[in-house]
Amino acid sequence: MNCEEARKLTDGYWDGELDPITNQAIEEHLRDCPDCEQAYETHRSLIRVISNATPYYKAPAELRERIRSSLREEMAGQSTRTVAPDAKPSFPRRRPESRTILWGAPWNWLSLAAAVIFAAIIALNFLPGGQRSGADQFLATQLIASHVRSLMANHLTDVASSDQHTVKPWMDTKLDFAPPVVELSSEGFPLVGGRLDYLDNRPVAALVYQRRKHFINLFVWPVAGDAAKPTTSITHQGYQMLHWVDPDFNYWAISDVNEKDLQEFKQLFEKQAPSR
Amino acid sequence: MALLRKAEHAPQTEDFASDRKIVKFVLVKNREEQDDSAEGNVGSFEEALLPHLDAAHNLARWLVRNEQDAQDVVQEAYLRAFKSFRGFRGSNGRAWLLTIVRNTSYTLLKKSRAADLTTTFDEEIHATADESVSPAAILEYSEDAELIGQAMDELPAEFREILVLRHQEGLSYKEIADIAQIRPGTVMSRLARARARLKEYVTTRIGKEK
Repeated sequence: MNCEEARKLTDGYWDGELDPITNQAIEEHLRDCPDCEQAYETHRSLIRVISNATPYYKAPAELRERIRSSLREEMAGQSTRTVAPDAKPSFPRRRPESRTILWGAPWNWLSLAAAVIFAAIIALNFLPGGQRSGADQFLATQLIASHVRSLMANHLTDVASSDQHTVKPWMDTKLDFAPPVVELSSEGFPLVGGRLDYLDNRPVAALVYQRRKHFINLFVWPVAGDAAKPTTSITHQGYQMLHWVDPDFNYWAISDVNEKDLQEFKQLFEKQAPSR
Repeated sequence: MALLRKAEHAPQTEDFASDRKIVKFVLVKNREEQDDSAEGNVGSFEEALLPHLDAAHNLARWLVRNEQDAQDVVQEAYLRAFKSFRGFRGSNGRAWLLTIVRNTSYTLLKKSRAADLTTTFDEEIHATADESVSPAAILEYSEDAELIGQAMDELPAEFREILVLRHQEGLSYKEIADIAQIRPGTVMSRLARARARLKEYVTTRIGKEK
């Protein structure tokens, strides 16, 4: 290898991007050629200077917030756009054979209606706890996203307080409902604070509790209509979710604690929550 | 009707274990349908890409050389990334994001400062810059962020970007080639030219101070 070839490859050599044979050829050349050795040393100093002294522009905190909220807006926009088209494809899937039989005949709408009602009855009876499963799954995904976001982006709480008499009035002023806030620190679930969130197409209260080093997000919003339903437990992506309703509110607790802890949390919460 | 009656009398609080099994089954079934939805991805999107926010901002800041524009570029890049996240199947989220940041930055540069993109640099002459300066003299600038910052700012965008990707993000030639959309073989020569330019800047400064 001559000097010209060696100089051309110096950068690749320094960056460790050459193949072993070329690498060795350069090393041999540098050993034998003082001029190239000197040039290489100069180059090495320069590279160290560049690596050390180039200012690194970290993102300011408010940019993170800006991005998170713009993603949220984008997500809200997409969910209203996609939910309706998404709802339809699952519909024919439930009765794949009926399409060909009923197609084209004038009476097919009646049959179709009957088939839908029949399918609904079947679904209601054979999928207990899962009637709203599509919606629940959608919600569960949103819940996980909210929970993860609240932990990763330094936005766990809007009002940080272990005092229920601070958190509750704060919530009451921000929302059009008054969520129950209870203090469970003596039971091992200290209240950390509260936050506003947006789920199921509405603003919701997020109460944050702690269990040892884990956080529990409890999302609360008013029950719409008659939604009496059994407690549902969901495990998804390593998160535990527990859903229950009382006459006034929907509750979704989500955390990475174990299922037993979350059950205990729910029972304590229900016991302490003011009955209406 | 038997079915209906059964539903009415179904216990409201069911056996916990069996209830969970049913829900799990339904979840698995539904996950296939929903996997591609943006909603399902927002959590994993943020998890995958928000950790690279500093890298994204740093690259944009070096490319557009202005804090406000850099923030706009990064925000726009994240939105673009989010919209095409379902198409992203790779494992290198950082490189993918940086590609989008780079392209977004260039869109802005093209719009506002076309002149910035042209390299009016005679590579052959500068590639063999003065080598009489000692390594120790150069090393004295290793804390001089102001000098290096100025030197970087005077380089063409394609040099700034390649130096940032290599020296600040420590990316491989292959990754840089993907991001800068050049052939892997071009990465080394472009890096060499960019470094030579910086070296020239530094040695000129040293010459002046002598």
